[in-house]
Amino acid sequence: MRETVLKDILRAALATLTAFIFYSLVGGIRPSLMIVLNAFSLIVVTFSVGKGEIFGAVLGAVCGLIQDSFSLGVFGVAGLTKTLLGFWTGYVSKRMDVVPFVRNAAFLLVMSTLELLLWVFFNAFVLRSRVDFRHGILLLQPFVTALLGSLILTVARRVQARRA
Amino acid sequence: MPLREKRTSFRILVALVVFHLLLISIQIPLGGRRKLFESAVFFILSPVQKTAVSAFHGLESAWNNYFDLRRVRRENQTLKQELFFLSQEKRFLEDRLGIFKSEADIRGVLEKYRASLIPARVIGTDTGNYYRSLILNKGTLAGVRPDMAVCDRNGDLVGRTIAPVSLNEAMVQLITDPESSVSVVSSTDKVVGIMSGTMQGNLCNLKHILTTSQGGKEGDDLTTTGFDKIYPAGIRVARILSIKPTKSVFKEIVAMPYFSYATIDTVAILPLVSGGGN
Repeated sequence: MRETVLKDILRAALATLTAFIFYSLVGGIRPSLMIVLNAFSLIVVTFSVGKGEIFGAVLGAVCGLIQDSFSLGVFGVAGLTKTLLGFWTGYVSKRMDVVPFVRNAAFLLVMSTLELLLWVFFNAFVLRSRVDFRHGILLLQPFVTALLGSLILTVARRVQARRA
Repeated sequence: MPLREKRTSFRILVALVVFHLLLISIQIPLGGRRKLFESAVFFILSPVQKTAVSAFHGLESAWNNYFDLRRVRRENQTLKQELFFLSQEKRFLEDRLGIFKSEADIRGVLEKYRASLIPARVIGTDTGNYYRSLILNKGTLAGVRPDMAVCDRNGDLVGRTIAPVSLNEAMVQLITDPESSVSVVSSTDKVVGIMSGTMQGNLCNLKHILTTSQGGKEGDDLTTTGFDKIYPAGIRVARILSIKPTKSVFKEIVAMPYFSYATIDTVAILPLVSGGGN
């Protein structure tokens, strides 16, 4: 039991580090790419589908707070939205068959869209700050997250099946 | 899933949501100092970010060096670096020309200025709030302190360094951030105002110019005045795009900054004492 918990904590730490390095690389090399690709959301949905809601919620909280630390926005907004993203992605994927590629992509699209909507809601209505949609390009973010997330999950499943 | 396990999951979710809501609520009203936890995360993770980006650039550079014509590439890099310093010096000279009279004075100051310039590379951007901040690969070890002006490779103003500044990384508040303020003056009529971001892309507003004031023209250059004691005087900042009268006492003046957020990669951090402002 203790070993499993330790393994999960290690996995979460590794996942967070992966998310951060991914975020740093993409943000540092091509900043404009970060408008359509939120590396933290991508990692949160990818891990939540496989690991469940508790893992997803904790990973979402950590990733969100890290993203907030490197941002001038209100500290905690990304943390909250990613906690909910991680939890509900993990929760629903345990109860629904989201293994087929198209179904998986559609599911991740819905979850990422909800996360973006919540983030917009918080910024626009609760914190009363203007949300910059970058001429609508920001709305592509859920599509990119869904597509890349499904691709990663499909490849991971194939690799696992081959090993087995 | 057993009911007990389900309850535990929801308890964890509620705890995390409450934690975040408390975190958000203690920051309202906005505009306060950065939280200790936020700064601590920045201090711990910024070296990781720098290492990751440096490793990528290292790999990229090794690849290029192997396949490209090495000598041409090296020469190109030297010329680029030279151009970078020359652009900064050109701006500085334009500002100083009117102040210093003797050539010897100019040369002396220019040498000091070049030595105190800190070139830095952009290693991160603010993904949640575009046009608000950047992260650079130079920190306190390179002499970076909060409130130092930052310019792009053409010498146009980008923003200023803000806390937290770690040993090897620093955060920059961009001039397009709505919470930033730069004291600027227009080139033709010498209208002085305060420029802030608008959160509408990379556009800025020139604030506090009375509707009755005659100065200011579309297409005018805006340069720093140095009155704010952060940005040295004479740095090119933006160009006025439009001027509209409003129902309030101030005009609505929209300006477009000269620096390009999408292509910014190398910047110069200016010493605190340079220019005419300090």
